[in-house]
Amino acid sequence: MNAITSSPALARARTRWLKGVAADGGRARGSTSLLLLDTGAAIGFATGLAGAVEAVPSIGAMLPWAALMALSGGARGTFAMLATRVGAAGAEHAKLRLRRRIVATSLHRAPGSTATTGTLMNAAVDEVDAIDGYVARFLPARQAGAVAPFLVLAATALASPVAAGILFATLVPFILVMALAGGAAADVSRQQFLALSRLSGRFADRIRALPVVLAFGAEDREAAALGRAADDLARRTMRVLRVAFVSSGALEFFAALSVALVAVYCGFNLLHLLPFPVPEQLDLGRALFVLALAPEFYAPMRRLAAAYHDKQSAETAAERLAALEGERQSPVATVPLPRAAPGIVFDAVTIRYPGEDTAAVSHFSLDIAPGETVALLGPSGSGKSSLLHLLLRLAPLSEGAVRVGGIALAETGGVATIAAWVGQSPLIIAGSIRENLLLACPKASPQDLTRVIHAAGLGPMLARRPLGLDSPIDARGGGLSGGERRRIALARALLKSAPLLLLDEPTAHLDAQAEARLIATICRARAGCTTLIATHSERLAAIANRVIRLGETA
Amino acid sequence: MSQTLETLIAAERRAQRPLLRRAALYAALVAASSVVLLGLSGWFITAAAFAGAAGTLAAQAFNYMLPSAGIRLLAIVRTGARYGERLAAHEAAFGALARIRPALFRAIAAAPVGKALALSTGEATARMIGDVDAIETRFVRLSAPWGVAAALASGLCLTVLGGALAALSTVACLAALLLTARALSRRLEAPGRAVQTAAGALREEFAQAIEAAPELRCFGLESWAADRIDARSRTLAAAQRAQANVAGWFELLQALSIALAASAAALLSAPAGAEIAALAALAAAMTLDGAAPLLRGQIDRGKMREAAARLDMLLAVSRPERATAMPSDTPVLTFHQPAPCRVAPGERLALTGPSGAGKTMLVETLIGLRPAQPNQITLDGIDLAAIPLPALRRCFAWVPQDAMLLSGTIRENLMLANSETADAALWDALRDAVLDDRVRALDRGLDTWIGENGARLSGGERRRLALARAYCTPAPWLLLDEPSEGLDAVTEAILANRLHSRLDRTGQGLILVTHRPKLGALCPRVLAIEPDRVNAPARLVA
Repeated sequence: MNAITSSPALARARTRWLKGVAADGGRARGSTSLLLLDTGAAIGFATGLAGAVEAVPSIGAMLPWAALMALSGGARGTFAMLATRVGAAGAEHAKLRLRRRIVATSLHRAPGSTATTGTLMNAAVDEVDAIDGYVARFLPARQAGAVAPFLVLAATALASPVAAGILFATLVPFILVMALAGGAAADVSRQQFLALSRLSGRFADRIRALPVVLAFGAEDREAAALGRAADDLARRTMRVLRVAFVSSGALEFFAALSVALVAVYCGFNLLHLLPFPVPEQLDLGRALFVLALAPEFYAPMRRLAAAYHDKQSAETAAERLAALEGERQSPVATVPLPRAAPGIVFDAVTIRYPGEDTAAVSHFSLDIAPGETVALLGPSGSGKSSLLHLLLRLAPLSEGAVRVGGIALAETGGVATIAAWVGQSPLIIAGSIRENLLLACPKASPQDLTRVIHAAGLGPMLARRPLGLDSPIDARGGGLSGGERRRIALARALLKSAPLLLLDEPTAHLDAQAEARLIATICRARAGCTTLIATHSERLAAIANRVIRLGETA
Repeated sequence: MSQTLETLIAAERRAQRPLLRRAALYAALVAASSVVLLGLSGWFITAAAFAGAAGTLAAQAFNYMLPSAGIRLLAIVRTGARYGERLAAHEAAFGALARIRPALFRAIAAAPVGKALALSTGEATARMIGDVDAIETRFVRLSAPWGVAAALASGLCLTVLGGALAALSTVACLAALLLTARALSRRLEAPGRAVQTAAGALREEFAQAIEAAPELRCFGLESWAADRIDARSRTLAAAQRAQANVAGWFELLQALSIALAASAAALLSAPAGAEIAALAALAAAMTLDGAAPLLRGQIDRGKMREAAARLDMLLAVSRPERATAMPSDTPVLTFHQPAPCRVAPGERLALTGPSGAGKTMLVETLIGLRPAQPNQITLDGIDLAAIPLPALRRCFAWVPQDAMLLSGTIRENLMLANSETADAALWDALRDAVLDDRVRALDRGLDTWIGENGARLSGGERRRLALARAYCTPAPWLLLDEPSEGLDAVTEAILANRLHSRLDRTGQGLILVTHRPKLGALCPRVLAIEPDRVNAPARLVA
């Protein structure tokens, strides 16, 4: 596994993907035109400066030229500001569309996807945001960078073709140096990125394992080790920067050199002291114009260099996002499942997540009769939840077969249509309790609501609240106990009147009394359903018709 | 001792003083040479034009060598100084970060246990990367004010040639620029915070949807959830755009101030002649241009403050250590709750009870990962709460229920317990944990990488590695939480035998949580913990 290789094919795919994303931010192209206008205004500024100095000492004659200078400056600022705004607006558009795509992918990811909540969150929030600088700054800077220097060159040539020639001549070695230094910088910066992600990985890992670090009194040793890793990163980074700064140094050098050469040339030309014949004789105005314009020749390239970082982060993000989009589940033709308590057969089922050495579940067989309650009991990591996820096509079926109501699982497209789910952290949205219940079935009648509230044992909790069903709750489920949240989820499940109940650790983190009460409720609620319970609570498992122990093998 | 980010940064600024000084010097050189380069060029060309126009003699007499050499020299100085400034500033920043990162880790580890363990890995990493990066930017920008000062000083020297008024106008323009930028950056703080809040809301909504994936699928709510996330995404994008719009004003401000300063300097220095007017105009423009790095810093001010505030929250929660009582090297362990039970050094006690009864909680209390109730447990008669945590933790070698391994090599995992263990002792520990054959069969032996939290090992292997880790430290008590869960009968029997002879050899005591009779047989005494009635007396089965 080598994260830093980048084959040409991969790079091409990445560029194509980025192009597609950037096309969504079409308005960013307006930003390019504004940057070109900015260069136009810079030419105006140089004209004003040359005119004003030529008009010295007559203040009256200077004023219009000085006004042109000030106006051009104002125009430059306005164009730059508008370019920022237009770029940001285009980027906003592109980001919103991309984020919608990534969110949809995350919600419909293929069962084999190894992405965790953390990596998906990174993708949907941070990596999508990395597109911002690319669309808003890099693309306009690159497009303008290809044209603007030639505008400056053309304007310079009008005043002094030789000066324009000098500017052009500095461009050739500049491009050579940039290509060399840029390639090297890209390589080392990839390595640097890897080193940084290793350091943050190490930090995250030690935070995760903080209890053992504390228990063995290793916090100082680990802090020191982190310090060494950070020192190492600093040394690496400095190596990267030495190279990276050479390329920006080259830019600086040629920018400064072009100004110096133009200045010296103009001076000698004006003095008639050039040691070689030139086909032009400058006057003060033209010479000053050329001098003031010289720094503008390199300005678009400096802007591009400043936005180069945006390009790199966008490319890194593009690689991951494109890979993630490849994991999207393709919709399958589905055979509708009958709305009756189904029998479920697991036949030598193996669930192996891609990239994992060991299977989450291997060669698991189980025959569940319609209406039966089965408890899957075992320690965490024994594959209980994976089996439930498999039924919803949230986990991959690597080997074996699953039949629901006699139909192969793949043909049904998962059991979602006939199933209800109660997990350990139910979905709670900001809103009233009623809204939270109705999520499952927006058209449910008040009678239905009353029925499921009773069945899920929510009655006493609603009675305690003056607003009853309309009591507001916040997104963190403020004011709800763990048991009450599970009851809301249970009521929701009943509201759907689904014939298959999937319960994933429904009593986890509850105290013993709350657990006992919830178990009694579940026991009543499951009537007439095929029920699958994943749990490590012996007490909950006791209500099942059958208990399947999923052990680990040593 | 409570430290804040500011004290930490101040200390690093002292430590990095030579580098920071160098960066400041270079920054000043860059700014000054930019101003002088353009000013001198303007003067040179104008003067040359007049000399040229006055005839060949005047042209011959014009000293062109010095200014033209000066121009080339300044161009080289500016480039070199810029390179030097960047290197020095970044070296200082990274040097500082390499100490700030471990300091953050220490602060997290020293926080009250509940707080430290509540910090999610994602959050901790976000702070470690994003927020610490903001500090880096801050260090890199420390040289910006010196650049402005040098630009101003050299700009003044040049523009004053055109008269006091020209110099004054340049100063006025610079002052106006800096003051307006300051006011703008205050306006930027609100959108900056709005971005942070909106990003947080988006993260929460997204995480909720991902974690509720099975529910969403069952109730057909996936597009409903996508719409809700999209709404958050729009709020965030709008906030980001508001921020970019304010940042756009900085561009306008800078370009306008440069043009105004140049035209004012040209007009006001006109009486001094065209050469000086050209010099003053260009010098004034570059003086204002020298403020650009400072302005960039102002744009990021809101972000930096936000980052600093979050890091401060991490740093601020250090624990006041009042406990000073020290137990002996082989202390007597006495439970008062849930049942009175005295365990002498070297004794072996099993903790039993149905799941949910609080056995693991009790174990975590012993090791100081949960606050102990007053008079719940004593060591040598000293209340647990009165013993400093490091001393308390030295008394126990713990095997947590879920193994909890580092992502690293087998050696790194074992040495976490004791960094001075020789290889022979590591192999001894692995042998007693019935893992030596497995490790020997691995390609790289002790130096095999075991993956994140030991993902490349099976559940039983992970537990045995955690056991071997506990064997590496000579604590007076072994504290084992279900160490043989998931083991086959044969392995478990070997493990029990070797544990028995190890205890005989070392004289260590044993506190064991287990459901399994084979291991339980090692313990002549049993403390049974009843669920439900946490404060009710538990049964002590002798």
